[in-house]
Amino acid sequence: MDIVLTLLATLLVPLFPGSWAFNRLIASLPTGLAQGLAVLVLPQLGLEVLRFAPPASLEPAGWRPWGMVWAAASALLYAVRALSARDVGIWSRLMLSSGLGLIWFVWWTGASMQALRIFALSWGVPAAVALFLAGALVDRLGGARLGLQGGLLEVMPRATTALVLAGLALTATPVFPAFFSLWRGLVSVTPAWAVIWLPLIFLWGWAAGRLFQDLLFGDYRGEKVADIGVATIAAIGLLLAVSVVLSLGASGGLS
Amino acid sequence: MIATGMLAVLVPVLPMMSAAVLLAFLRTSRRPAARLSVGAMSVTLTLALTLLAHHILTGDAPVVVSVGSVGSLWIDPLSLVLWTFVSGISLIVHIYSVRYMIEEPGYARFFALLDLMTAVILVMVSAADLLTLLVAWFLVGVLLYFLLGHDHRRPAAGRYAFWTQITYRFGDLPLWFAALILVHAYHSVSLPVIFSRIQSAPHVQLWGVPVPELVGFLLATAAFARSAQFPLHIWLPYTMDGPTPVSALMHAGIVNAGGFLFNRFAPLFEHAAWALHWAFGMGLATALIGSGLMLMQNDIKRSLGYSTMGQMGFMVMECGLGAFPLAVFHLIAHGFFKASLFLGAGDIIGDARAHDGVPPDPIYTSVVERRPAKPSRLPWLVAASLTVLVPVVVLSLSHFFVAEHFFFEQGVVVLLFFGWVTGAQALFAAHKMSQQDPWRLMIGILASFVVIVVGYTLISHYFGKLLYPDEQVTLALYGAASIHQVSFDALVLFLAVIFVGGWALTFFADSFELGRNIGGRGRGVYLGVYALLSRELYVADIYERLSQIVLQWSRRLNVWLRWC
Repeated sequence: MDIVLTLLATLLVPLFPGSWAFNRLIASLPTGLAQGLAVLVLPQLGLEVLRFAPPASLEPAGWRPWGMVWAAASALLYAVRALSARDVGIWSRLMLSSGLGLIWFVWWTGASMQALRIFALSWGVPAAVALFLAGALVDRLGGARLGLQGGLLEVMPRATTALVLAGLALTATPVFPAFFSLWRGLVSVTPAWAVIWLPLIFLWGWAAGRLFQDLLFGDYRGEKVADIGVATIAAIGLLLAVSVVLSLGASGGLS
Repeated sequence: MIATGMLAVLVPVLPMMSAAVLLAFLRTSRRPAARLSVGAMSVTLTLALTLLAHHILTGDAPVVVSVGSVGSLWIDPLSLVLWTFVSGISLIVHIYSVRYMIEEPGYARFFALLDLMTAVILVMVSAADLLTLLVAWFLVGVLLYFLLGHDHRRPAAGRYAFWTQITYRFGDLPLWFAALILVHAYHSVSLPVIFSRIQSAPHVQLWGVPVPELVGFLLATAAFARSAQFPLHIWLPYTMDGPTPVSALMHAGIVNAGGFLFNRFAPLFEHAAWALHWAFGMGLATALIGSGLMLMQNDIKRSLGYSTMGQMGFMVMECGLGAFPLAVFHLIAHGFFKASLFLGAGDIIGDARAHDGVPPDPIYTSVVERRPAKPSRLPWLVAASLTVLVPVVVLSLSHFFVAEHFFFEQGVVVLLFFGWVTGAQALFAAHKMSQQDPWRLMIGILASFVVIVVGYTLISHYFGKLLYPDEQVTLALYGAASIHQVSFDALVLFLAVIFVGGWALTFFADSFELGRNIGGRGRGVYLGVYALLSRELYVADIYERLSQIVLQWSRRLNVWLRWC
């Protein structure tokens, strides 16, 4: 029964191959707003399911180290795949799947449910923002694939700024919460695991660099389009600022 | 003490607040934005200078200031010296940018980013715990990316900003790893606590390796990426597409972070001898490669980029020899020197476009046109004697009188050796210049040499006393950097043969015009070496190919899995 619940949870808290269905489901939702809400809610539901299948119940089978390796491998797989994604929606989903894959790693170490929820939100909030903005790009430009019409900073400065901030938050850049979640996860295990985790940080930085390259640089060659509203950027800014303040406040207990 | 702590917190907070005000309220107001930014930086420099002067006058012990639950700052001589240096360089760059950037879009954003970058560097050099250090170290790379890519209309600026960002990210990984190992081994994130535990238990092991040695290797690797050591250097000469003030800030300040990292972790490197030897080797290789590639450039800014690489190699080499305070002195001296060169480069390029500026003087004729104006030189025996002997005598005497205790340490001997090479090279070059009055030229250069060596020795010695008041620490670092005496003698002999051989080769190549007479297989080798160096050792091409392979696999995986 515990195995069945765990497998069910891999569909909600993305872990390969369950993550494939998760991504398929998110992509099938009609609007950016719906996709954003889904990536906030589904992982939390998955964690609820996991509450009934604690890792200790699987421990006798000696799965713990293999489970941790699988989680890290799943995160690495999605980080590598994010390198070649130029569509903001796809990029955001792949990055989210990579980050949330690590929840399973932390879960196997016996972390508290509260820590896991914070971990899921650390990636969920910026991914929700990025998916919402991807939806806004689709509405205005007919697609969210970058690099076709040059940099968007000139024509959509607010949306671009928000997307850059969300991208940085999603790639565990300090002082965003994912950075501190990553630190907490790493200090809770022996340093040997860092050999698998650290390439992730490199790949995320690489993926962000490639996305920003297409998003920011070069003259815009498309038609004139409207930017997102001031209220929208203010709401996004407030959301990210609150998450930063909370993560900085919580960082005091990291020693 | 409390007042000092309060003032100290203001040093990084002031530029941070300035950036916040610029971004929130002054995005479209150019002049007020520049005034606020320059004003904030002036106050920051004044505060840093006040704190440094207070420390020098009172000799207060270092203190750790906690900033709520956000982080902690370590107010020690290293932090105070680097605060003064960083805010000084930043103020110069700010003032220069007021007019230089006036026609650029995003003027206020540029100043906000400069302020943020300064604040983050100030936090980095004074971080008292691993997490604050890691956050600041990481953020320097991120902010530098946006500063270098400030002109978003130019794809080249973005491309080279990306190179910098990815190299910095690569260098972040060893620092992450080192931090995790230290927390695991010494159960604290506080640097003073970790250092005191290392002193009491330096032989703690992880995977059969002493922790200080393992962490020393990781910290050195992080420093290599940040200070453009071979082969992690390729970003440095190509960042000239960013605004000139950013190039100045980067070459004068940011790239020196490697030297800072060695000094911050000096108590750990006392027990990491092999990491220091590695740093010496990498620094030496980088100094030679950087200086060599500098000579092949025909673009003034890229030439300055490779010059910085060579200087960074020398700085890391100094750390590898145990001369930690000398590395800090070197990075400060190089910082001001290189900032002035970068900020003046634009004017020089502008002047050169207006008129060729070829001066009708014999030095130009001799060095650039390679033809002696008047065949008047000192007798070669006199010149050779002066070239070889004078630097040895001047360097040895000045060091012996100023710092007798360290005179026979291996690190000092190697530094003196390189000082001799540099001095002799300067005199050799002076001898090659034909002059109407060769004695006058030689005496002038000798006098300058004496002033520079004596001044440098005195300043670096007293600077070392400020950073490391406990002489035992300095001796311990020199001791850790030492190798077996026979190996050391062999190394010095080998280097001496290399340098003297190089001079002889240069001399004979010039005298017999060897370059023009190469034929057959020799010419093939010559062209091969030339191609290798002109393609900058193919390092960028190798990285490009490797990244293409990874991207190809990434695309394949995405196609197989239908982008889900």
